[in-house]
Amino acid sequence: MSEAIDRTIARRRQVIDTFKQELIRRLNLPFLPEDLHEDVSLLGSGLGLDSLDALEIVLCVETCFNIKIPDDNISVLRSINTVVDFVIVQQDAKGGRA
Amino acid sequence: MRSSPLREKLAAAGAVFRERHGVEVAAHFGNPRAECGAVRDAAALADFSFARVFTLPETPGIDYLDALLAGNVPKIRFGRVLHTFLADNNGLLAADCFVANNDQEFVFICESIVPDAQLNALLSLEGKESPAKDLTADHVVLSLDGFRAWEIVKKIFGPDIIGLPYLSIENYQFLGEPVRFIRAGKTSEFGYLLVAPVKIAAELFDALKAGVDERSGRLAGADAHDALRLEGRFFNIFREGEIVRDPLPLGLQWMMDMEKENFSGCAAIKERRAAGLKQKIIGFAADADCAALRSGARIFHEGRAVGAVVTGCVSHVLNQPLALGLLPLELAFSGLPFRVGAPDGAVARSISMPPIVPKSLTVKLDEM
Repeated sequence: MSEAIDRTIARRRQVIDTFKQELIRRLNLPFLPEDLHEDVSLLGSGLGLDSLDALEIVLCVETCFNIKIPDDNISVLRSINTVVDFVIVQQDAKGGRA
Repeated sequence: MRSSPLREKLAAAGAVFRERHGVEVAAHFGNPRAECGAVRDAAALADFSFARVFTLPETPGIDYLDALLAGNVPKIRFGRVLHTFLADNNGLLAADCFVANNDQEFVFICESIVPDAQLNALLSLEGKESPAKDLTADHVVLSLDGFRAWEIVKKIFGPDIIGLPYLSIENYQFLGEPVRFIRAGKTSEFGYLLVAPVKIAAELFDALKAGVDERSGRLAGADAHDALRLEGRFFNIFREGEIVRDPLPLGLQWMMDMEKENFSGCAAIKERRAAGLKQKIIGFAADADCAALRSGARIFHEGRAVGAVVTGCVSHVLNQPLALGLLPLELAFSGLPFRVGAPDGAVARSISMPPIVPKSLTVKLDEM
């Protein structure tokens, strides 16, 4: 695999692992990290989290990555992958990784 | 072949039918893309009578369903619905199921990829007679979905509808007959399943259709719903489920209670889980003119065949091909470039799902 692809995967994997572990811990989810597919829906269907859980996810992202999800941007919380995309974009905008 | 009690009505409306696992379904009404658009922008009515519907008394229903299904049935609160699956003895998917705790009874709805007789055999746990009462022959299942679907059901059944959370059930009356009303769409827009006796099916269909027509909506077929499910990244047992069959690479662990000691297929699934996941299904997108991103196409990475496309569609919202493909775990990340069809074939990128933001996410029903 090319170095660029390796770097992309390694960075994404790190954000995913951190987020999943904190999500499971905060929400006491009965899963191992590898049981959570990154595209699984966080709210409603899928994990079926409610609005209080959504607040925990926002706090989770803030704690883990020092990144704030705006109140009016609930669409970020569609899945683990969409949260991870948001984190990576914000990290890039800050000019580095948290 | 089993047909819908509404077949004649659907045929008169221009339905093109196809067979799916021994059941005749309305595939489309001439324009599947417009049918997708109706859901995204207004509302669409679909006949889901291909689904099997059962009811069970609370006792022995809870224990029976819990021994059968991967999810935790005793934990379903009154008025709520569990989304889970039924596996065969090899731990391979047989049906995608909703189980509803509905006032002294449990309602059990199956989208099945095995013929009716085989599903019946699976429902006969250890050869015992199933306590489930089969309502399939004398009930219809209608699916009303769309950004404005809530307006239609509110007009027919009253404003209480608005307070129903996702995955909940309530009983209503229509023309003096009971309608089991479930909020549980799989399009990512507002969605409702209505289970109604055949004797009022035509009238209920007409009432819902009138509401759809008033909002410039349409009838929708199975083809449109296949595309809508992919676009919204809802699991579709009739596409990726039927091809992959194993719930683990499909990412359906959320439908299972990992702590349950037994359910149909439990041992086989737990054995595969313990052995570790080797592949995973992820999303792909390609440029609008790419025809290669379709079911069965091989996926290449840096000249090497690494996986295959499992299902695909053209997204109505994004106007580009979308797909799900199976990849080895080490490459199952979004944001990577791949080629499809050949080592130098068209470029497709792995993407985060769902790729769309549904209009319904912007509506707060509890503030209406």
